[in-house]
Amino acid sequence: MRSPHQLLFILVVLSSFQLEAQLLDKDDESKLYAETKQVNQFFRRFNGEEDEKGKRYFPRDRQFRSEKLRKKYIGILFDENNHGINNDLKIEFVDDVLNKNSPKILDFHGGNWFSEVGTSFAMNGKAEPVTIFMELEKDHLGSKWVINKVHASMFEPYFKRDTTKVGKFLHPLSHELDFMNLRKAFNFRDSLSQFTVKRFIPDHLSVFLYEIKNGNLKFRTVEAMKFHFFQIEGWYFELSEFNRPGYNTGWLISNLVKVNNESEKNLLRKYLLYENN
Amino acid sequence: MNNIKYLAALFVGLLLVGSVSAQKDDISPERKQAIDSLALEKVRDLSKYISIIGSKKTPFSEAQRVMDRAEELFSPDSEMGVSSLNKKEITYYKVRKYFERLMALNYDRVTISWYDIHYISDLERQPDGRYVGVVTIYQKFEGAADDGQMKYKDTTKKDITIYVERKKTQIQGRTIEFWDVLLGDIRVSETSA
Repeated sequence: MRSPHQLLFILVVLSSFQLEAQLLDKDDESKLYAETKQVNQFFRRFNGEEDEKGKRYFPRDRQFRSEKLRKKYIGILFDENNHGINNDLKIEFVDDVLNKNSPKILDFHGGNWFSEVGTSFAMNGKAEPVTIFMELEKDHLGSKWVINKVHASMFEPYFKRDTTKVGKFLHPLSHELDFMNLRKAFNFRDSLSQFTVKRFIPDHLSVFLYEIKNGNLKFRTVEAMKFHFFQIEGWYFELSEFNRPGYNTGWLISNLVKVNNESEKNLLRKYLLYENN
Repeated sequence: MNNIKYLAALFVGLLLVGSVSAQKDDISPERKQAIDSLALEKVRDLSKYISIIGSKKTPFSEAQRVMDRAEELFSPDSEMGVSSLNKKEITYYKVRKYFERLMALNYDRVTISWYDIHYISDLERQPDGRYVGVVTIYQKFEGAADDGQMKYKDTTKKDITIYVERKKTQIQGRTIEFWDVLLGDIRVSETSA
């Protein structure tokens, strides 16, 4: 069920290009206009920085970031098929974003958003999934995407540690013997983690770089991608691409969570980055 | 010939915005629009070249010549990353290889047409000072056998990288600065539209 805003948007889109010379099917074309074609377009629509045909508005333009325009766009930026996003929550989010006294704008260089890239690598010839978390970083004259974290389930056995058992350990007077018992410890190749400090946090990125350097791990392909936004204060949302028939396609909000405080935000961020162990 | 055309377009763009500011690194809205036009012109040339290369009516030698022209639009090492609805995995081709595969497709008749839609992203600055943007266009492909039976058709979205760089050239002893646009990697994905 489309909202009146969405219908209005589609009608405006349909009417806005009727006069132009068309090469192909108009119905298909109207769908392509409605599609949020780039992440850049998601930003511009969210902020109200372009017209129905994607033509950029500049700060000097009357329509630039106008509440009316933003209201029209934000309604179509949600994945309609996701009934997990409560409608009341959606309304609360939109009201907060369009608040007259402090409207919220997304800033490409504003930080607090990152990308999750699902990739496939070949580890010694065998295809293995690797999740790469990327963020924008300023560098010299501009900016670039950099790898912040990596998660690969194939690396998990490297760090396996059963803390419920007493297990193997280096006794507390090992130092008096010049730690000669290290020789025995390092014989346990598969469970070396039990000799590490409790606060040790496995770092898949280091292993990832090491394995690539050694030639064991080779890139195959990118399989999926999504974005996580913490930029709107008090909210988290996920952005995913939907390649499907219809008007509700392209880069859309696929998850929305209200985060009440910093602690909740950090918990969610840790969960997304596989830091919850 | 093409270079002259682009230079001419560029100077028209510059005339619109007045004199070139050598020190200023930010791109004014007017110049952005001039750069958008230049980028679109290159993208339209690429679209035209792809249609010619893909057409079965194009003689081999002509296709080779058009491939050379098309390659000149790109910065070195540019690649095409191709995926379909059935195969999400991206297959990577060098630009020339992509054109050669397009030319060699096993259909009697190939029709490549373009939706009258484009989307141009903002320009972002890279660490090396060049600007980068993405232009999105949509292509309809139809390949058919001589007996008239349709073999295959698809619609693909092409996200085309554009690199924008300020360059200098000497004209009658005077140094003129201008903005140049080169195409980069292209992501080709089949759409459900």
